[in-house]
Amino acid sequence: MFTSLTKFSQWSRSAFAVATLPLLSGCDLNFWRMEGHQSTITVEGVVAREQLQLFYITCWVSLVIFVLVGGVLAYATLKFRARSAADEHAEPPPQGHGNPLIELGLIGASVLALVVIAVPTMQGIWSTYDVPEAEKKDALQITCTGNQWWFKFEYPSELAPINNAGAKAPLITANELIIPAGRAVRVNLRTVDVIHSFWLPKLAGKVDMIPNRANHIYIRADHPGYYWGQCAEYCGDSHAVMRFRVIALDQKEYAEWLEQQSQLARTLAPRPTDTTQAKAQFASLRSFKQNETGVTDKFEINPLESWRAKQSPEKNEDAALIATGRQLFSTKACLACHNIRGHDAPGITGPDLTHIGSRTTIAGGLLENNSEQLRRWIHNPGAVKPGNKMSLAYARIGQDGKPIDGIKLTGDEEVALVAYLESLK
Amino acid sequence: MELAKSAHLIKEAHAPSQPKLLFHPKSQSGLMGWLTTVDHKKIGFLYGFFALIFFIVGGFEALLIRTQLMVPNNTVLTAQQYNTMFTMHGTTMIFLAVMPLSAAFFNFIMPLQIGARDVAFPRLNAFSIWTFVAGAIILNIGWFGPVLEKMGIFGHNAPDAGWYGYSPLTSKTFSPGHAVDYWVMGLQLLGVASIAASLNFIVTIINMRAPGMTMMRLPVFTWMALITSFLIVLSFPFITIALVEVMMDRNFGTNFFEVSGGGMPILWQHLFWVFGHPEVYILILPAMGIISEILPTFSRKPLFGYPIVVFSGASIGFLGFSVWSHHMFTTGMGTVATAAFALATMAIAVPTGVKIFNWIGTLWGGHLMMRTPMMFALGFVWMFMIGGFSGVMHSAAPADAQQNDSYFVIAHFHYVLIGGSIFALLAGLHYWFPLMFGRKVSEFWGKLSFWIIFGGFNVTFFPMHFLGLNGMPRRTFTYDPNLGWNAANFIATMGAYVLGLGMFIYFAVLVYTFFKGEKVKKDYWDGRTLEWSLEVPPPEYNFRVIPTVHARDAWWYEKHHQEEIAQEQAKSAAAENAHGGIHMPFGSIWPFVASLGLLIGAVGITFFDADPSPGIHAKLGVTLIGGVVMLIGIYFWSLEGNEGYHLHLDKDGHPIEDDPHAKH
Repeated sequence: MFTSLTKFSQWSRSAFAVATLPLLSGCDLNFWRMEGHQSTITVEGVVAREQLQLFYITCWVSLVIFVLVGGVLAYATLKFRARSAADEHAEPPPQGHGNPLIELGLIGASVLALVVIAVPTMQGIWSTYDVPEAEKKDALQITCTGNQWWFKFEYPSELAPINNAGAKAPLITANELIIPAGRAVRVNLRTVDVIHSFWLPKLAGKVDMIPNRANHIYIRADHPGYYWGQCAEYCGDSHAVMRFRVIALDQKEYAEWLEQQSQLARTLAPRPTDTTQAKAQFASLRSFKQNETGVTDKFEINPLESWRAKQSPEKNEDAALIATGRQLFSTKACLACHNIRGHDAPGITGPDLTHIGSRTTIAGGLLENNSEQLRRWIHNPGAVKPGNKMSLAYARIGQDGKPIDGIKLTGDEEVALVAYLESLK
Repeated sequence: MELAKSAHLIKEAHAPSQPKLLFHPKSQSGLMGWLTTVDHKKIGFLYGFFALIFFIVGGFEALLIRTQLMVPNNTVLTAQQYNTMFTMHGTTMIFLAVMPLSAAFFNFIMPLQIGARDVAFPRLNAFSIWTFVAGAIILNIGWFGPVLEKMGIFGHNAPDAGWYGYSPLTSKTFSPGHAVDYWVMGLQLLGVASIAASLNFIVTIINMRAPGMTMMRLPVFTWMALITSFLIVLSFPFITIALVEVMMDRNFGTNFFEVSGGGMPILWQHLFWVFGHPEVYILILPAMGIISEILPTFSRKPLFGYPIVVFSGASIGFLGFSVWSHHMFTTGMGTVATAAFALATMAIAVPTGVKIFNWIGTLWGGHLMMRTPMMFALGFVWMFMIGGFSGVMHSAAPADAQQNDSYFVIAHFHYVLIGGSIFALLAGLHYWFPLMFGRKVSEFWGKLSFWIIFGGFNVTFFPMHFLGLNGMPRRTFTYDPNLGWNAANFIATMGAYVLGLGMFIYFAVLVYTFFKGEKVKKDYWDGRTLEWSLEVPPPEYNFRVIPTVHARDAWWYEKHHQEEIAQEQAKSAAAENAHGGIHMPFGSIWPFVASLGLLIGAVGITFFDADPSPGIHAKLGVTLIGGVVMLIGIYFWSLEGNEGYHLHLDKDGHPIEDDPHAKH
């Protein structure tokens, strides 16, 4: 026994050393402050705030009861603990079977505590379910459709031209939802494949997107801001990387954005020129580690400003290269799935790319939208998002070891495509 | 004048002849002994043995999950491997670890607590264990996917659609290959095993109680076994039907959940959770029963408020069927349904809270012996309180909209299932070990493992509350480093390693004790219920004399009224001897054969395809062969009859005469 105890103390010392490693390595241990991008505690929307207040009520009621009951339990354990062998073998205590009055009293007290939780719960169920009556007329309607593994956003009330002939259809974007701040928004939730869930923690708790079921969620942002969202129902291989963003803008900026998005895709040059003139600044393709983080610290400093910076065209655009990219978009059959309004790209199964250059992220909110990440994505989409449909269109080796024909891109072609996509502001 | 006996009478004077096929297996040990055993204690041991193996498998899967999440964007597992791990971790822990471990205790302890010599249907009991093993095999075939592919069977991987298999992810469109089929057929067989076992327990508890063991004298553990068995019998049919529908959709083109054909995926969720929520209580009620045995024993006084504890267990069972949709608060059920299920969920907190009050009442005024089982039992009460409170938080539906499918939920149900169920089962193993094997686990190592498990568990799962509230969703194989989840995830993973170490110590010590532990005499803990009246380990016939029960804590009463009991037992023993001695059932191989048939048939069905052409003859053939084997098993099972033999004991309890041919 004695040697075991010595060994035990040695073990506990080494265990302590392992446990304190994160401290020593300067790891950020402030996790209990819960101030992350997807925090449900530091909320910035009406619905999320109401849900948070209800959480605090349940939390306090639980805490008070826990302290009371736990206190009695701890007291009983310490007080009635046998302190010696003699204690254990003393005459057994009185063999009582209980006390109905105590039981009834405790049951009554538990019911009362539950009423304290039940009343605000009932209020919350009705008030968070939908846009309040008074705001319904003014509410913005959005249709969000879940796909494996990205979100499509449609503005049924905002018609935008879809071709040069002037035909119009509701405005469609992908993975980044722009809403007016301070205004009620009703997002109608649909899915084309499996069940997804629309979760935007800082603005509202989640609602599922279920096939053959018309769900909706009510959100309202307090003020302009940039918000992180994520699919919250397991939906297959790449569920973890099915993310989205919501950008809330003040009324004026929102109107400007709508005006700009309603335009057809930008066209810089009428005809393609020689591809050999590809500029080096677009060419960066380094090797990426599996799951390598796709966002930069610079972007994090002020995401809303980063978003604004994406709205205007970049300087020094290479018109010839962009035109080449546009032609490749057609010859490599990208247009079979992707829509680019005004550029004769009619696909509807993939995300709409008419203004992809003005978004802050690509690949379903996973990667920052810059030339390096764009090229990483189109170079090998399956490495970024396992199992995604775009990767299935690429030439690859099948499960049975045989090659499957499909899209092949050279380095130059990738550069041209990236330049083209970045030009689509 | 004496007439010559007619031929058939002469023949009967010898041993009654038996068809060769219907031999009665005699071996008590060796492989044959285990395959043919109908002894509830041996079957209980088998349940425990397999449960512990799968507990190790599930634990290993959990450690892989935690390793992948240790740092952001980790690459230990691929997305697909990770999804397989969390699916199999959940399925394994629920169906192959916690449930069979509870069944092990039901089998081993419950008949001893009610003063019975076996369960009501010993061969059905054997069928249950072997069907359970068959289900476990099918569920895990997928791990050998690459091997199956080499054999020319398109294998695919282990199941990866979640333990709850939400439609339409389980459809052929989104889950081609056979991973989901393994899951469907595996659960079907486990359901058959569970229902058969539960019917057996119900009949045993209702019919086989010793004289004087009224329902309100049943030990609480037996009560919880009864309620759990009813929950299983009533809830498993829902998942059985739902799984048949998935199978039909996948293989035969029906449209129960198939969206393109107008099917309703939401229907699966309702069917699944009508089963799934009672399942939660199937996991926790046996644990509550164990705790209600351990606390009185180690406080040396009766359970506080016995009737209220029993009734609250029963009302938890009833209410458990009316709260399933609280798993679906985010599916847009509408305000009224959400409100109803929120209120029902809150209501269930009352009987649960009552149990905790009564456990504290049991401690109050007692002489608490702080032994390892008591440590785990007290740990259970603390951890279960935390899990219970976070459960009440989920009942506030609007708040749950943020918590659902986040790490907050993971923290909640691990507090209930590890801090609750597993702690209680670990307590039970230490508590009944001296009874089951006549050996005693070292207190030092037991307490050491308790503190490591207790610490590791809390370090793993407490930070997950913060992770969930900070927006980390479940079932994600990776996360970005900019979301504020890094530190909590790293700590949780370190905690998981400590928890794993604690479990390793716990079971290593248990295995050591099984072979080399200190031998003890009967009634090691100064127990209160009938199982402690037995010699250790209990003889195959359990009770030398069926006891007559006079009070709730029957053995405690016997110990304090020894003279009266001795006279009474002498009388009963004489009566039983006059009746032919102790009746024991024969072993039988046929339950095993029937289960084997189920396994073969289920394997055949598993490999069915919507497109029947490739290998259809082989698949159909295997299925039919399985069916025939099962029918052969059932046929001979019924043909051999419920015969048994009688034992007569000498004064030390050793059988003096086997009479293997006496019919009864």
